[in-house]
Amino acid sequence: MRLNPRPAAASGTRRLARRHPAALLALFLCSTGGALAALALPAALGHTVDGLIDGGPVPWSGLLLCAALTLAETWFDAGAAVLGTSTTARLTAHLRTSTTARVLAAEPRGALAVPTGDLTARLTARTADAAAAPVTAAGAVAGVLLPVGAVAGLFLIDPWTAAAFLLGAPLLVALLHTFTRRTADAGADYQRAQSVIAHRLTEALDGAETIRAARTGAREYHRILEPLGALADHGRRTWTVYGRAAGQSALLLPLLMLLVLAVAGLRLGAGAIGVGDLVAASRYAGLAVGIGALTGALGALARSRAAARTLDPLLTLDPLPHEGLGPVPGRPGHLELRDVGVVQDGQPLLTGVHLTVPGGTSLAVVGRSGSGKSVFAAVAGRLLDPDTGTVLLDGVPLTAMDPALLRPEVAYAFARPALPGTTVEDTIAFGPWTAGPEAVRDAARAARADGFVGLLPYGYATPLTDAPLSGGERQRLGLARAFAHPGRLLILDDALSGLDTVTEHHVRRALDERAGRSTRVIVAHRLSSAARADRVLWLEDGRVRATGPHEELWADPEYRAVFRTEVAEVADVADAQGTPDEPDPSGTPPRPRAEAMRGAEAR
Amino acid sequence: MTPPRPAKGDSRRDGALTRVTRDARPFLRARTGTVLRLAGWSLLEFVQTFLGGYGVARALDHGFLAGRPLTGLLWLAVAAVAVLPAQLATRGVFGRLADLVEPLRDGLVRRAVSRALAGALAHPAGTTARSLSQVTHQSEIARDGWAGLVLTLRSFVFTVAGAVAGLLALEPRLLLIVLPPLILGAALFLATLLPMAARQRDYLTADEAYAAHAGKAAADLRDIAAAGAADRTVAESRALADDQVRAARSLARWSGVRVVALAVCGRFPPLLLLLGAPWLLRDGLTPGALVGALTYLTQALAPAVQALMTMLSTVGGRLLVVLDRFTDAPPPPAADDRPPSVPPVRGSAPVAELRAVTFAYGPAAHPVLDRLSLTVAPGEHLAVVGPSGSGKSTLAAVIAGVERPTAGAVRWHGRPVRPADATAVRVLLPQHAYVFTGSLRDNFCYLRPAAGDRDLAAMIDALGLDPLLSRLGSLDAPLEPDRLSQGERQLIALGRAYVAAPPLIVLDEATSRLDPAAETRAELAFAALPGALVVVAHRLSSARRADRILVMDGPRTCCGTSAELLRTSALYRDLAGLWEPDEEPRENGEPDGRPRENGLKSSPPPSLF
Repeated sequence: MRLNPRPAAASGTRRLARRHPAALLALFLCSTGGALAALALPAALGHTVDGLIDGGPVPWSGLLLCAALTLAETWFDAGAAVLGTSTTARLTAHLRTSTTARVLAAEPRGALAVPTGDLTARLTARTADAAAAPVTAAGAVAGVLLPVGAVAGLFLIDPWTAAAFLLGAPLLVALLHTFTRRTADAGADYQRAQSVIAHRLTEALDGAETIRAARTGAREYHRILEPLGALADHGRRTWTVYGRAAGQSALLLPLLMLLVLAVAGLRLGAGAIGVGDLVAASRYAGLAVGIGALTGALGALARSRAAARTLDPLLTLDPLPHEGLGPVPGRPGHLELRDVGVVQDGQPLLTGVHLTVPGGTSLAVVGRSGSGKSVFAAVAGRLLDPDTGTVLLDGVPLTAMDPALLRPEVAYAFARPALPGTTVEDTIAFGPWTAGPEAVRDAARAARADGFVGLLPYGYATPLTDAPLSGGERQRLGLARAFAHPGRLLILDDALSGLDTVTEHHVRRALDERAGRSTRVIVAHRLSSAARADRVLWLEDGRVRATGPHEELWADPEYRAVFRTEVAEVADVADAQGTPDEPDPSGTPPRPRAEAMRGAEAR
Repeated sequence: MTPPRPAKGDSRRDGALTRVTRDARPFLRARTGTVLRLAGWSLLEFVQTFLGGYGVARALDHGFLAGRPLTGLLWLAVAAVAVLPAQLATRGVFGRLADLVEPLRDGLVRRAVSRALAGALAHPAGTTARSLSQVTHQSEIARDGWAGLVLTLRSFVFTVAGAVAGLLALEPRLLLIVLPPLILGAALFLATLLPMAARQRDYLTADEAYAAHAGKAAADLRDIAAAGAADRTVAESRALADDQVRAARSLARWSGVRVVALAVCGRFPPLLLLLGAPWLLRDGLTPGALVGALTYLTQALAPAVQALMTMLSTVGGRLLVVLDRFTDAPPPPAADDRPPSVPPVRGSAPVAELRAVTFAYGPAAHPVLDRLSLTVAPGEHLAVVGPSGSGKSTLAAVIAGVERPTAGAVRWHGRPVRPADATAVRVLLPQHAYVFTGSLRDNFCYLRPAAGDRDLAAMIDALGLDPLLSRLGSLDAPLEPDRLSQGERQLIALGRAYVAAPPLIVLDEATSRLDPAAETRAELAFAALPGALVVVAHRLSSARRADRILVMDGPRTCCGTSAELLRTSALYRDLAGLWEPDEEPRENGEPDGRPRENGLKSSPPPSLF
């Protein structure tokens, strides 16, 4: 299956509405029909009551009309309920799938600009909110029709009854307004107390190892829940505020209806209207005060529109362009960069990089932090398209190759790999093709991951959610994933940093075995990595400082200095790595992840 | 990425109502008084409804239709007077509502915290976001849902009672016409309630499965692109979204049935009343009574029925699902039964002793420790080294009695390990330091709450914490852990262990984020304490300071002094060589001045599991 999302799909109500025009038309007809039946019913009811009270022959036509209108209203309402729920669900699924497809088909740089939590919220809650718009809009038509029609009905029965209703209408509107405002204010303190509890819990969960060893679980339990008293107090206050607002409407609405009744009664006494008209007027007044439901619909529409706005930047992401070419078959992965430059936020990350890596050889990429090593790694395998220049693999520009044909030829491993998939086996097999069990085990052995995988409760079948993995273990699973999908280009972006020296030594040997078959680009901090590679690319401030074998470069004291500072840096960086320095998902705002492209630069 | 839960989910679904009811009964029984007071305030609604119809009937019969408009207005005024205390009554209702709702939320938050802590203490590395969502999001859904349910249910009961009483007062035979459709509709609705709740659960489950997948995809974006697995991921996402559409369609069909039940209950009674009206009128039903009855049916009964059914079928199902998630919460962590006392030291019995200890993390897993024997003498300083995954942290946890060995025995002071003795015998510091929001003093006194200023001062001096203390202001200044570096966190945790000064201190890479000078100072300070010290070493320099070194190497595990090990252990030689290439060059032809890779090893240790 090829990904080819249609261009400029967007989340606007109108565009969405075009997805299922028939269903939405039917829904519109149902909700309008239901509203019209509901509006006609009081009149018919009044007419029938008049006929009944007159004491003449049984008004069968009126009775039949009432029954027909009741059935019609029920039928329409049921139709609207069924159509509304299922249409919203279909639109949500469509919007979710197309947004996901867009995000994943685009250059990762685009979507990485959005923090993970935010992106997740957009893919889940925001898509659902935005997709609800067409159905809400169709329902809102009925929401307008009912109160407006009811006031019109009052007018038709007797203008005085309508006037009585309109007298109270401003109060009604003011009430609805304060109601929404007050309840919104009341919740703030409550939410603060709640987040204190959540914060303490997050801290304790983060320190679970210590708490377990210190046997202080009971103490922590009480410490976390200490703000519960304040939470309950704030909670009570919200109910008080809510009760005050609800009390006002409990007073106003019945009084307004009694007022209409009183006027209708007087008009009845004066002989201007009949008993049936009074019944109808009372019913219309009831429908007219239902205008509150409309504010709910308008609020939902506003929410949908806001949600749609957050989705638009994702839905307008362009898929990776290509010319449908594929890699030349049977070549060993000759990599060439011609005048490659990358700029981000006005900052040059790479400038004028010219380089040739002969097929089947290995290249170590070294340089101080921020010298552009990870950007180079991203550009070399088309995780990032350079802003200037061209990258060619066996003579074909990467940008001309269909990603579906290029990806099987390029494997990546990272310093802090994410582990997609469900089980340990699945995450190693995860890739352009799903690797078989044998390939998975071979790759795990090569990445020295088979040892700790064997210690997991269910070995390779252990679900990732149940597999507590250290940073070094995750790194080795990421390596195994790359080893399980061998292509002509293998890019290791600082992917050995979490291994102890003995383990690294063995993994390096596995890498060396691929000599001649695939080109290996290894971003590294350690001296031993540079020394082992066929050639070294030395980057400085995004430019090529020098290329050549390690032994030749070693003569340059500044080259040696790169490693000397790295020693200090890596020691620092061990701080930034492994355990989450960024505290918790709930508290501080997450940093934009554009940095992730430059990830290893920071470590 | 998991499809909607199969059999397991089904078996849980069946008992949801039973489980929730089982927990709800004692909760409500304890609040009988509140429920009664809530009913008391709601009586007004009964009166209001009653007079709403009765007043209209009398106003017509005795007033407007009898040519006495003033009497008519008077009867309506009576109905209006019943409305006047509405504001007061509503406040009363909401006050009692808070008494019913807030304790529920308190209980749910307690359960969520209890579950999260119990889970994290059982599997420290596998903390989940689920528990946080339970504390904030799910407990709120339950709070709002429960409040809505109480409000509508209460309103329904008293409105219906008012309407029934009114109909009785107007003409008892009216009930014969009104009650059958009401009961039929209610029965129809109740029949849909359970299947609909099940559909609602399916829908929520599908939604959660999709959200879990989306969250993972968002976090794994770079790797999905690098692995060229966008197609696979989109296909998974589409499949999950489609599952949800199926669940929503099924839910939609049932909501259609609900509308019909609603109509039978709320809309058919007025129709039947009209059908029966010719006979009733002939038998002496007054026009006012007919209008009053219609008012009851259309203005009171129908809206109350609609509100209740909407609430039950939307919120009710959700509430049940959410509450059910809280039913299986484990009890909160219990404190140790009795205050631990330091067991008497018998002569020179080892502080800790391992006898042929085997440890595996699962029945199918290879053992991490295999028949390992080891003794730690009082006051001894032992270092543990070995490659990633060789079981160093596991060993530390077993010595400290945090993990129970699969086979073999662990003894403290010559006696079998008893959990209650743990805090008196040893302190285990993991690599990841726990510092909580509070004062520095709270954090230092965590393991020994009775520690005084003098103890703290001695510790601060020994570990060199003055710079940190002066940066933070004072011992009692509030501390924000987020603003501390990992190194500072580790220093605070070390200070805590120093203050506790138990007979055995186990440091599991607990100095890994300190610079070498600070690490040296800390380790020397701990070594100077009378207790025994076991250090899972992060740097070889740290191992060299120890009296003995344990090299973890599977079946070739061995123990000795550094000099002995250089002779006997190939792995130790390897580690020493690789860690410090400048001291023991392995390869010839390396240029001089090769930088020290001392302390370079940045591998995080294998986690406790």
